[in-house]
Amino acid sequence: MVLLRVSNIESYYGPIMAIRGVSLGVQEGTIVTILGGNGAGKTTILKTISGVIEPEKGTIELMGERIDRMMPHKIVRLGIAHVPEGREIFYDLTVRENLMMGAFLRKDRKGIQADLHMAFELFPVLKNRASQLAGNMSGGEQQMLAIARAIMARPKLLLMDEPSLGLAPLLVKSIFGVIKRINQDNKTTILIVEQNALMALLVAQYGYVLEMGRIVLENTSEELMQNEDVKEFYLGIKGESARGTKRWRRKKKWR
Amino acid sequence: MEKKKEVAIGNLKVLTGFRTADLNTVPRLFWNRVEEWGDRTAFREKVYGIWRDISWREYGDKAKSVALGLRSLGLGKGDRVAIISKNKPEWLYSDMGTLVAGGITVGIYPTDSPKQVEYVMNHCGAIFYIAEDEEQLDKILGVRKELPQLKKIIVIDPKGLRHFSDTMAMTFKELLEIGKNLDNQEPNLFDKIIQVPRPEDLAIIIYTSGTTGPPKGAMISHQNMLSVVDSWLELNPGSPTDEALTFLPLCHILERLFSGIVPMMTGCICNFAEEMDTVPQDIREVSPTIFIAVPRIWEKFYSTLVLKMKDSTPLEKLAFKWAMSVGRKVSLYRLELHKKPSNYLKILFKLADWTVLKNIRKFIGLDRAKYCLSGAAPISPDLLRFYQCLGIDIREAYGQTESTGAVTCHYIGDTKFGTVGKPLPRNRIEIAEDGEILIGGPQLFMGYYNDPQLTCETIINGWLYTGDVGRIDEDGHLIITDRKKDIIITAGGKNITPSEIENQLKFSPYINDAIVIGDRKKYLTALIMIDDENVMKYAQENRIPFTTYASLTKAPEIIKLIQKEVDEVNKKFAQVESIKKFQLIDVKLTEDDDEITPTMKLKRRLISRKFKDLIDEMYKS
Repeated sequence: MVLLRVSNIESYYGPIMAIRGVSLGVQEGTIVTILGGNGAGKTTILKTISGVIEPEKGTIELMGERIDRMMPHKIVRLGIAHVPEGREIFYDLTVRENLMMGAFLRKDRKGIQADLHMAFELFPVLKNRASQLAGNMSGGEQQMLAIARAIMARPKLLLMDEPSLGLAPLLVKSIFGVIKRINQDNKTTILIVEQNALMALLVAQYGYVLEMGRIVLENTSEELMQNEDVKEFYLGIKGESARGTKRWRRKKKWR
Repeated sequence: MEKKKEVAIGNLKVLTGFRTADLNTVPRLFWNRVEEWGDRTAFREKVYGIWRDISWREYGDKAKSVALGLRSLGLGKGDRVAIISKNKPEWLYSDMGTLVAGGITVGIYPTDSPKQVEYVMNHCGAIFYIAEDEEQLDKILGVRKELPQLKKIIVIDPKGLRHFSDTMAMTFKELLEIGKNLDNQEPNLFDKIIQVPRPEDLAIIIYTSGTTGPPKGAMISHQNMLSVVDSWLELNPGSPTDEALTFLPLCHILERLFSGIVPMMTGCICNFAEEMDTVPQDIREVSPTIFIAVPRIWEKFYSTLVLKMKDSTPLEKLAFKWAMSVGRKVSLYRLELHKKPSNYLKILFKLADWTVLKNIRKFIGLDRAKYCLSGAAPISPDLLRFYQCLGIDIREAYGQTESTGAVTCHYIGDTKFGTVGKPLPRNRIEIAEDGEILIGGPQLFMGYYNDPQLTCETIINGWLYTGDVGRIDEDGHLIITDRKKDIIITAGGKNITPSEIENQLKFSPYINDAIVIGDRKKYLTALIMIDDENVMKYAQENRIPFTTYASLTKAPEIIKLIQKEVDEVNKKFAQVESIKKFQLIDVKLTEDDDEITPTMKLKRRLISRKFKDLIDEMYKS
């Protein structure tokens, strides 16, 4: 079943059209990734889905219900949680308070307690620092907190904006391990935007490649990993040249 | 400073457009101009976003160093030098340097694959390979073991090659140094070698992408190039204040003449476009007085304008419609009725021009254009009409590599739509019994390099068999029907000229290119390449979801849109000539692909082979 359906959205930052007609679908229970370089419009797509940016054109449907042009807090209530780029946690609150903010809209105490438990289990570090101020934690821990806070809303769909940004390689690996667990254990559908294409393609079942605000390629992760352009431009696998080193890049074709 | 400029231009007026009889080879003409024009600007190149002037003196110095450099590396008379680069001043330095040193220039398209590079290098037996950059260097390194004659590889831009060394490779800068050293040792050498090439000598070899079989090397002499430019300028005089934009590949005869030879005659300034993608912006910045382009470019401008008008306010739309109707009337009087428009119409046109047309010309960047030219491929007459209405004097020329470029063109004020004009001075055109166009005159090429057999089949009794079919109308204008080989004979025995239908299809803003198929078939079909930008815009506006280019070509609404365009075209043709079915090409083809010619046309045979499945689909009963 299609959980999220985005059709022909166009979003602007002031006069600049950041996404120029994007359509995509996310199947329930899957992990889908959007790859793209700086300024491709990845973040804008997520912000448009979660209602932070209003699309100029196009529609967004969650389980068949239109959610575009809805206020962000209403969208959260419908089951979409957003892990923004750069964490954006509440620095002056404790870790526990941060997590409880994630469950702000929920009333079921029991459920919240259970989820808090689960969050601590997923990220044991957070349990140890539950009463510490969030601002005093390392970047990796803050990222974990941001993810944990989002799952506290018990979302149907989790939007993740570059969870690997600024993290050490080992930490990236463990974060992606957790992402996979959230998907498998909680049956949470995840739409993840990444620059670390290899990690993203390894956990996702399906992927889109975004360039200049347009989708240029879509396919299953396995197929994408075999694509010549994805290999060269996103996975850094370069063809051999007679000199051994090849600095120039051929033109992208996306086919 | 101001005064000096004036004098220079004053002197030029005497010279421009003409050459004395002793300037009968490209090197002699070139060097005469370098000495006469010295500090005058020859080129402009954009460096880090700023247009930089390059004088004739610098052009001359560089070409001289290249000539002497190549000579000290062992270039003898008649040796071939290959240049593989996008258009940039170094291309012309290398070209002139080679010609001055008595060598023969062979241009290779920078988009060619290593395999194609190997073929051309092998076929022409070039001993030098002048490469634009790392990318072009890598092409030759991969295939050089198959090229025993290759002596040196010269790299223009050494970026990224700091740690690379190879006994066969050197930089362009080093080549210039070697040249300067030789000049210091033997100061008189240059003046001597420049006199060596004779007018009838081979100057350049142009490889034409054969639609069947491997590319053929057309041999062009000094005399060929100079005589076509002489004739051209007799009809279309230039002036030293001319500005041109060079962006079509210099490997192609059209651009080689207009950026290489024409400036030496008129003093026209060549502005190098940065990239193919930046051409629309470059035109606006340069505002050329002469603009030469292939139909694809004219089609693109047109569809951009049409779509822009769709987004405008009702008042703007009304104004545009009115202004265009006035423009149409004026061009009708001038070009089709050969009458002067009435004074009332003249005033009306002034008003339309001032309020609307001028701004549109400015928007494209052609507000200063004296004349524009479409060549290298057939163009729809409706498109020419459109530009004439805008007040842009656009003309069509016809020719081929084998005739050293243009042999016919529309004379000033004698643009007859649907024809390619009259023969240039000193050229003769005849129609063979089977309708094939024959060309005679000083522009006939010297034959195909290393292929006497093919040469004999192409030039018979002093006539060039063009392979095009056409006729001469009652006013002496040449009308091209099609390529002889492309004419479709349907299963019903009806002769159909596909290019006529294709041109009508291409006129649609949503269709980029099309190939009509139907030889020995019951009905006609077409493979259509959509204009992705405009079709995407349409999809966006009509909320047609799509993701990739391929998915766009499969959207039922888009197929319906194209069907509507095809239906429109079908109305203009007879029943047997109508397109019964079509398929959209689902890959986005670019200049880098083999399926597209350097002048941005689809290659009929390659496309038909590659998309055979799509074609077969259309003939399934």
